[in-house]
Amino acid sequence: MKRTSIIILLFTIMLAISCEQNSNSIVVYTTVDQVFSEPVLKEFEKKTGIKVKAVYDTEETKSTGILNRLIAEKDNPQCDVFWSGDPLRTAVLKNKNILYPYTSKAAKGIDNVFKDKDNFWTGFSARARVLIYNKKLLKDNDVPQSVFDLTDEKYKAKVAIANPLFGTTTFHLAALFSVIGDERAKSFLENLKANDLVIASSNGDVKRRVVKGEVYCGLTDTDDANEAIKEGANIGVVFLDQKGIGSLIMPNTVSLIKKAKISDNAKKLFDYLLSEDTEIALAKSCAQMPLHNGVKLPDGVLSLDNIKPMNIDYNKTAGKLESIQEYLKAWVERK
Amino acid sequence: MIISHNKSISSNLLYTIVLLPVLLLLVLPVLNIVVLTFFGTNFPESIASINRDLFLLLLKSLAVSGIVALISTFIGIVLGFSLYKSDIKYRNVFRLLILIPLFISPYILAVAWKDISVLIFDYNTSIFEKTYSFFGMILVHSTIYSPLSILIIGSALSNISKQMEESALLMGSFKDMFFKILLPLIRPSIITSFVLILIFSISEFSVPAFLGFRVFTTEIFTQFSAFYNHNLAMLQSLLLIFICVILLVSERKRISDSVFLSIGTRGREVKLYSSKKIVVFSYIILSFAVVFTVFIPVSILVYQSFKTGTSKFMEAIFLLLPTIGNSVLLAVIGSIISVFIGFVAAYYSEILNKKLMNMMLLVLFAIPSTIFGIALIKFYNNSLLNFIYSSFGILIIGYVGKYSFISAKLIGNSIKQMPKSMEEAAVIQWIGFFKRIQKIVIPLVLPAIFASFIINFLFCFGDLGTSIMVYPPGTEIMPIKVFTIMANATESLTSSMALIVFLVTILLVSLLFFIFKKIIAKYNVNY
Amino acid sequence: MSIIKLINISHWYSENRVLDNLNLEIEKNKITYILGSSGSGKTTILRLIAGLEVPDKGEIYIQNLKASVANKIIVAPGKRQLGYIFQDLALWPHLTVYENIAFGLKNMNKSEVEGEVKGILSLFGLNGSLQKFPHQLSGGQQQMVAIARALALKPKILLMDEPLASLDVKSKRKILDYIVSIKEKYNLTIVYVTHDHLEAFAIADNIVVINEGKIQESGTAVEIKNSTNDFVKYFIEW
Repeated sequence: MKRTSIIILLFTIMLAISCEQNSNSIVVYTTVDQVFSEPVLKEFEKKTGIKVKAVYDTEETKSTGILNRLIAEKDNPQCDVFWSGDPLRTAVLKNKNILYPYTSKAAKGIDNVFKDKDNFWTGFSARARVLIYNKKLLKDNDVPQSVFDLTDEKYKAKVAIANPLFGTTTFHLAALFSVIGDERAKSFLENLKANDLVIASSNGDVKRRVVKGEVYCGLTDTDDANEAIKEGANIGVVFLDQKGIGSLIMPNTVSLIKKAKISDNAKKLFDYLLSEDTEIALAKSCAQMPLHNGVKLPDGVLSLDNIKPMNIDYNKTAGKLESIQEYLKAWVERK
Repeated sequence: MIISHNKSISSNLLYTIVLLPVLLLLVLPVLNIVVLTFFGTNFPESIASINRDLFLLLLKSLAVSGIVALISTFIGIVLGFSLYKSDIKYRNVFRLLILIPLFISPYILAVAWKDISVLIFDYNTSIFEKTYSFFGMILVHSTIYSPLSILIIGSALSNISKQMEESALLMGSFKDMFFKILLPLIRPSIITSFVLILIFSISEFSVPAFLGFRVFTTEIFTQFSAFYNHNLAMLQSLLLIFICVILLVSERKRISDSVFLSIGTRGREVKLYSSKKIVVFSYIILSFAVVFTVFIPVSILVYQSFKTGTSKFMEAIFLLLPTIGNSVLLAVIGSIISVFIGFVAAYYSEILNKKLMNMMLLVLFAIPSTIFGIALIKFYNNSLLNFIYSSFGILIIGYVGKYSFISAKLIGNSIKQMPKSMEEAAVIQWIGFFKRIQKIVIPLVLPAIFASFIINFLFCFGDLGTSIMVYPPGTEIMPIKVFTIMANATESLTSSMALIVFLVTILLVSLLFFIFKKIIAKYNVNY
Repeated sequence: MSIIKLINISHWYSENRVLDNLNLEIEKNKITYILGSSGSGKTTILRLIAGLEVPDKGEIYIQNLKASVANKIIVAPGKRQLGYIFQDLALWPHLTVYENIAFGLKNMNKSEVEGEVKGILSLFGLNGSLQKFPHQLSGGQQQMVAIARALALKPKILLMDEPLASLDVKSKRKILDYIVSIKEKYNLTIVYVTHDHLEAFAIADNIVVINEGKIQESGTAVEIKNSTNDFVKYFIEW
């Protein structure tokens, strides 16, 4: 009987925990790494008194949890606000009819390039795709300056990219396809493969391999590069193709989830994420570049002003992805 | 032959009381999603994409996991013998140390091993990289799953009566005895170990994904996470589930007839070998295993955690502290329920020949975590059941569904070994069903109950695949927090968190061991 | 007068028929030995009488009550007023001698239970072993505990499934003497299964010889010794 009473006790505790409902609250799902997203959400809580209940995920696991969860929850959405690390996942949700359009006043200062034309998402703080290289292994004049240099014989088996089926790498390749055309892009990828390109499991893995010297260089995101430098790794960062097609800029996006009643709190968080405060916070914590014009930046943080961006239409690029995905899958699986 | 006395009202009542929630809360969600799959709009496309390549991939996965299962089971035999049959000192310390890989998440072990191999080998050619993923996968999986095999085979070895071995030793050499008597006697446990590890390995995903090794689970994962094609992913999972169920059913068939131990009334003595050769061999092989599977990976973690001072470690403690309470509580509740359900399923399956619940637990166990998570969402996420879905209840349901089979299996093996007369003697005396269960059956299988509690606890405590799909917004549980923070954190923070998880786990397991030892000692049984 | 009646009993274990249309009556207050080689079906007879197995065909009467019919138990085993000594004794290893015996005693307060258990154990000279566990006893003492446990509930019938097989001759003799005296004292009917015909000749009132699920011969020791049945002659030759 002792056992039964213990079980009952535990259940009561559980129920008590679950009953601790807060009506003035909001549910946010984010694919942005918890270390960076949590402080922003906590700040919002502090400022508004609205309790934020978050579900985190990570690009390292390809955001499987959240995206699939949002899709599976479609008929009875739990989530109010979706904060994504890149516009691509958001486009998937848009196609699946899960998002709700909203135009925020807070987005006034943000260039329209970074917004969905149907207002299903709005971009803010951006990362860029960069090349990082191990300073010990590559001399200054050997460092590639264009993504197309990577097919060069001298980098054979010494370049890493993350699996392009997932994460920001997908986006990068989709952008490449839409800028230089399918044919050129495919032949470029084939040449990379012929050059024994190393396919890592994630951007984090690319970073690790470069830092440890397994490869000379690799493609990753500015936040990973920033993290490596903070850790004291001896690496250099290059914005590729500054004389050519430019570097890919990837904004965070925020969207409302379609449900019976869109709460005001959801809109408040939406607006807050688009504020300059958030952009400054993210600039400090993970070197994300603000999209508002004229935001005052702390020293040492990158700014969009000094970078030549790749000229793409984010909506079209998301569409591009679907048409090349099968090809990418086959490309990855080929030995 | 069903034993008549058990057809009592109370026994039917218990079965129904347990079966109903299992059916309604665990099985129904899965049935629901299976039906949704077959009636989904893109079902024809999905079925068309199941082609020869996919089957070849399945075969490849089976082959690789088969190798893992073979190696782990072989290690299980060698180390199991060294641990349980040789006359060594510090046996209990070794036993605990050897189990440690079970406490560490596969992903972290994979990372640790990769760092090690980079130190030792150095990547010069991509060819090495490609073969490395194959060997890496086998190495890491074998490391993780060997402890399971050691547990299973070790307990079988320590249940062989002394006379069996001694009479064989009188007639032949140690070698003859080992190969002709000992191994055949523990054959059922060898088969169980092989099949279970094959299933664990073939459904594990994080290691092949990290190593870039394409197997069936990574294919399912790709369908899920790159294409968001639930229908196809589900269909592919059904294939995997089908294979696992076939494996488990054939394993049951193979071992159902063999009784490999009985809890005797006259006490049981375990033959311990004290010849110098065997003892020295045991020390060497056990020390090697401990160094290889525990010392090296853990030292790497310790080194990485503290190479920049203690600040990152403190930060990790600060991050994880709020999650520990929740995680422990949930894992404890989850394992208590799992053990309870597992016991009922095992008892009815072994004693009363009612196998339905056991089969259902088996199928649930074979479902990939992500699929199970989706099934739970589709079923529970509606206004009616929202009170479960938005509370910790959904996590408990996830744990119980995923892991009760482990309890059913371990406790079932133990019940199988209990002489039938133990219960019959009470039946003759008109002892009621519940008193019989409480005073006779449970005490006799107590060690198995505790063992399955600990193993269930470990699995619940470390569960990520299902939890990440269903954990309530705004709550924090340890494995998820570790995982979501790990991605972009510094290496020292990541390693610190892994280390803390590891320390907490080992602390809890030691505590459980200690408590259980006390309880078992109270019963004063020579199990 | 018969206390147990088996009428047209047939029983299968999966494909194997172990009892074949068997008819058997056990006389009240007698010691009946069922004699047969291993696999002859003799243990099955005991299990059927106890209600631990359901007959596939036929009927079983105990004390003139219909206890079992084909595929159905009418009187539950615990209500048949019988004790059963299992071949492996089935002493519960996690309970002390005292607890083993007290376990089945119902509707009594603590001191009554204590008096009862001590009374029975003193009969068997086991009072010094109250707090011992079964594995701490000798083989002969374990048999005694098993018998004491069965008698604690004051059964009318005692079913014994070859419990003495592993004992030395002296202990065996001692326990058999006990059994005879107990039988007198408690007015017991004893059904005893064994393959040892010498043991049977020594103390049985009635002997039933069975082979391949069929009764070959039944009668007193003298009648069995003079039987003309080929199997019986072969069986008791040893």
